[in-house]
Amino acid sequence: MDGEEVPDLIPARMLNEFTYCPRLCYIEWVQGEFEDNADTVDGRFQHRRVDQSRGVVPDSEEIKEFNARSVDISAPETGIICRLDLVGGNGKSVTPVEYKRGSVPDVEGGAYESDKVQLCAQGLALKENGYECSEGMIYFVKSKRKVSVPFDDYLINRTKELLDSLREMAASGKIPPPLIDSPKCIRCSISGICLPDEINSLRESEKADEGTLQVRKFLPARDDQVPLYVSGYGQLLRKKGERIEIWSKKEKLGDAKIRELSQVSLYGGVSATTPVFTELLQRNIPISYFSYGGWFYGFSQGNSHKNVELRIKQFSVAGDNEKSLKLAQKFVNGKILNCRTILRRNDQGVSTDVLSSLKKLANDAESSENFRTLLGIEGGAAQIYFSRFNSLLKSQDEWFLFNNRNRRPPKDPVNAVLSYLYGVMVKEFFVTLLATGFDPYLGFYHQPRYGRPALALDLMEEFRPIIADSVTFTLFNNGELSESDFICRGLGVTMTPEGKKTVLNGYERRINTEVKHPLFGYKVSYRRIFEVQARLIARVLDGEIDEYPPFLTR
Amino acid sequence: MGRLKVFIVSYDVSDPKRLYRVHKTMKGFGDPIHYSVFRCNLSDKDKIELIAILSEIIKHDEDRIMIIDLGFACGDVDNRIDLIGVHPEENNNQAIIF
Repeated sequence: MDGEEVPDLIPARMLNEFTYCPRLCYIEWVQGEFEDNADTVDGRFQHRRVDQSRGVVPDSEEIKEFNARSVDISAPETGIICRLDLVGGNGKSVTPVEYKRGSVPDVEGGAYESDKVQLCAQGLALKENGYECSEGMIYFVKSKRKVSVPFDDYLINRTKELLDSLREMAASGKIPPPLIDSPKCIRCSISGICLPDEINSLRESEKADEGTLQVRKFLPARDDQVPLYVSGYGQLLRKKGERIEIWSKKEKLGDAKIRELSQVSLYGGVSATTPVFTELLQRNIPISYFSYGGWFYGFSQGNSHKNVELRIKQFSVAGDNEKSLKLAQKFVNGKILNCRTILRRNDQGVSTDVLSSLKKLANDAESSENFRTLLGIEGGAAQIYFSRFNSLLKSQDEWFLFNNRNRRPPKDPVNAVLSYLYGVMVKEFFVTLLATGFDPYLGFYHQPRYGRPALALDLMEEFRPIIADSVTFTLFNNGELSESDFICRGLGVTMTPEGKKTVLNGYERRINTEVKHPLFGYKVSYRRIFEVQARLIARVLDGEIDEYPPFLTR
Repeated sequence: MGRLKVFIVSYDVSDPKRLYRVHKTMKGFGDPIHYSVFRCNLSDKDKIELIAILSEIIKHDEDRIMIIDLGFACGDVDNRIDLIGVHPEENNNQAIIF
């Protein structure tokens, strides 16, 4: 990318972000990603009065006192565009006032550099527009105090210098490294996107090769939200105020608070009104559609995703055989090792031969020369693994015997549950990848053909054994699924609506389980781990870390 | 789910129109346990959003709202609440499956 692609005018707010943390500025401005947290929402709330534009800035030579709120101004020469919270003055002599939600910080001059620089940029913009402006004010809402910031030569030079480096950073197309162990990251709203400590420790460990890394725990807001599943014939979703109601004919089945939802999945003949769709899309809640039997048809998503840069990198790596193979090897390696762990933990009769041959195949995967050998290795491992799958089922009731993996249609109940869960998982990864800015259809291991969401299938590999397979045998072993949950029709086996609900419940229970991340040592839900792994792929594409570390359970 | 806190929100709103708007807003944040009393499971961010929205609706010299913090949702919150009579079941932030 060359410098010409950087917009001419840089928002003064971004200069503030850049001074605070260049990486934050890059992720927010260049990549277009943003996540709210309590601080940002409160900031907007505290800002609400100044955000209503009021008053006019006089442009003639007449001398009179004035006050104006929320004024937009641009300065092409300096290359700045800004919104002044408040600007007051007398004729041509003006003072910009910037509102900050907190209290006066305990630093020299009573204001952080990032805020001073932002204010100074506003001053420069005012000067370029013909006003006299020698100082600005920062109003701290919590302390109810104004701090004055004189625009001296030092501050002006520093501001221009930072503007230049911001421009340079944006033009370089390279994401700046995360801050190291900085207290700024703890309250940063995008730490769940930036992964500062994770990335730093992965880069360190690529040099040193250690075990578990010591990483602070950042929790993203998304963990609080829940998915909504509706399956059936003739159900209707309607919007009522801040909730979605689920109706069956004339009877209301229940409702869900919209702000609580992370995603919505509709199975079979379920319909929804346009207000439901527009509301969900506006709030960036994805909607997935399945056939009654669980086949994933597609989904709807709002226009909120802007991270084109990531997609450009994804396409370029997908077109590069060598780089793709390196990622694919990691996916397969992770899958085989996790299969091995499942057997080691749950299959009492497993021979050391089986375990060691799986271990060997996992190693072979990492050194495979091309995709064909890698596919062969995966197939071989799957054969060994599924040959032991029957012994994971405690009850040896003939009805539930598992002989081999089959599908389209599945010929026995165990295969029916596996197929259904793989369908649900594809959706899960599809949605996660979209939320992180990827194109789920273009993968590195799976080939982008036959309409398959290849990248979702790639990332899913390492999780198949620990999520879908584990949920399957747990449901049978706990007696949660019984013969009455299945319908045997000639060639294939399907599940009853009750059976499907049981399976979905088991799946949700599993992915909400908190587990320790083997690399970072913090405890988070599987659902969050899916997102972290997707973001780690993004960091590999960025070139920040060399190798994708698959999620390996212990 | 460790970061959600449980709040009891109660309100007195003197004007029926504003009362309806407050009630409608509250339905998006929590579940009604009595008339004008809601139980809400909120993150820090949710709480600020709720306060911001309600502040815009009510008249500050006529209406009132009280928000009581009962602590983290995963703690022993339910031991601190005794319910007598008919009450709806508690929604515990799990997947909603119909």
